[in-house]
Amino acid sequence: MAVLASEYRRELEIRRYPLAVYVLVPLLALVLQAWLPRLPVVGRFAYFDLPLLVTVYFALGRRNPIHGTLLGAVLGIGQDGLTQGAIGIWGIANTICGFLAASIGIRVVVENHTIRMMLTFGFTLLAGGIAFFVTRILLGLSYDWNWIGEILKAAGNAVIGLGLYPLLDRMQVRD
Amino acid sequence: MESFFSRYRNLVVLTLALLVQVLGLALQVRKADTGTSATAQANVTAHDAKPVRLIRLWAASAVTPFERAIHWGTQGAANVWAGYVDLRHTREQNAELQKTIDRLRLEQATLLEDARQGQRLQGLLKFRESYIYQTVPAQVIGSSGSMQSRVVWLDKGKDAGLQPDMAVITPDGIVGKVRTVFDQTAQVLLINDETSGAGVVLETTRVRGILRGNASGQPQVVNLLADNRIQPGEKVLTAGGDQIFPRGLAVGTVEKVVRDAERGSYINVVLKPAANLDHLDEVLVITQLGETLSPQQQADVDTSEALKGGEVAAAAAEAERKRAAAEMEERLPSLQDPNAPKPADGTQKPGDAPVPPPTPKPLPAKHADRFSPSGASQNEVAADETAAPKAAVVPAGKAGSATKGTAPASKAAAGGKPGGNTKPGGVK
Repeated sequence: MAVLASEYRRELEIRRYPLAVYVLVPLLALVLQAWLPRLPVVGRFAYFDLPLLVTVYFALGRRNPIHGTLLGAVLGIGQDGLTQGAIGIWGIANTICGFLAASIGIRVVVENHTIRMMLTFGFTLLAGGIAFFVTRILLGLSYDWNWIGEILKAAGNAVIGLGLYPLLDRMQVRD
Repeated sequence: MESFFSRYRNLVVLTLALLVQVLGLALQVRKADTGTSATAQANVTAHDAKPVRLIRLWAASAVTPFERAIHWGTQGAANVWAGYVDLRHTREQNAELQKTIDRLRLEQATLLEDARQGQRLQGLLKFRESYIYQTVPAQVIGSSGSMQSRVVWLDKGKDAGLQPDMAVITPDGIVGKVRTVFDQTAQVLLINDETSGAGVVLETTRVRGILRGNASGQPQVVNLLADNRIQPGEKVLTAGGDQIFPRGLAVGTVEKVVRDAERGSYINVVLKPAANLDHLDEVLVITQLGETLSPQQQADVDTSEALKGGEVAAAAAEAERKRAAAEMEERLPSLQDPNAPKPADGTQKPGDAPVPPPTPKPLPAKHADRFSPSGASQNEVAADETAAPKAAVVPAGKAGSATKGTAPASKAAAGGKPGGNTKPGGVK
């Protein structure tokens, strides 16, 4: 029992990664998000949001709302910078998702793959909803809300996360 | 106070982060009081403020070098495969392409005269035509990564002479326009984006309109009055009035006509774009428009005229010769007898003696007399054909000897009676 308790505490500890991982993984997410939809095969099924996926992963792992907030803001603004639209739409969405993911990570054990998948699915839908709210309600611009597309994107993110999270777990610094 | 910030610092940071971004959005969107959503969208994208442009520059600088490297690597591998390994059927393809070039050269030379005539007429009407004078080829290295934003990134920028609002095309049709330019990259707004705009004209019905993208990423001609002449399949071309795209470039074909949801009396014409906007690799950026053909285009035209234009000229000369011959036949009806027996196969055999050209018709004598053979023959022919009383003054025998070269035809025309209805001896 004592072993289990120590194991649990250890798992609840803040995960740490090399600085290169903090820099390169989000950057790679942005690059792939912009490049993959150009591929003939992937382009038709580009239902994923890699920057959000990375935001959620690091927020859940670090369990630090400030870190999650800032990482979400930077990645979201980076996403906006590659579009022709107003800068801040995806920034706000990812900021909120990063904050919430880190807050949930403090209270819930998120090592289980199923829980991670469900959280990723939910946060992707939430990010779409926030982007819709900001674009349509705050800015008064048109936004094509497509339920099927949003659900497919959330499912795509969940599936990618299932493979990506264990890979990123290996990169963390163990004490 | 300090305890408040330390206690709620997470929420404070979140609030600050959101506040900054909302303020940034508010500064970017300057919605007109009476403007529609499309107007507001256009306001967002018309011109970036300095801080916004800076953020875009950072994003582009962070992402595009990696995209360029990935593109370079994949393209290099593909080139090695296509250029050195997979060379099957290259000769056949080369021969086919050569045939295509020959055919196009012939077509170009044929159409050139019409084009020049059109230019002359346009010059008379003081109409200024814009020709694509100079283009820069560029590779598409990335996209926006968002389904709500239809833009692509090019591997060429200010260093290659690109500037905002330059037209981007492919040989199939128009692609979009350059929106933001950095030193080595440029962002292109595709024609299927909601914030894009281009002047277009329907080829057959000549209905003009503005091209925009819809929320689903399809280009459509918006705000047209209902017109049942517009049918699926009709081609759509650039109208040339937007100062970005030259006139006459392919835009796409009409896919369907839908009623405007906001204004019932208007329709939107949804198009299937001519260029494959979902999979763009190489594009051309029109960096300069001119009122004359570029040196390269002029060289192409000259080559066409030199190589294949000779065939056209020969055909035109042949047509001119035939037309002149036909006119000559009309003027000289006596030289050909419609009732004369024709050769069996209508062609001359190689062994036969060459047929002498028809004898030129001598000028008629002013006053016909017996000593003037031409006058006699003329009168005889006239008598044969029209049976004019004047022919009666010419002796038939003389006329027959005078028109030696064409006598058989004349006789045949007269039903085998020399002199026709003229009387021997005639009037003395």
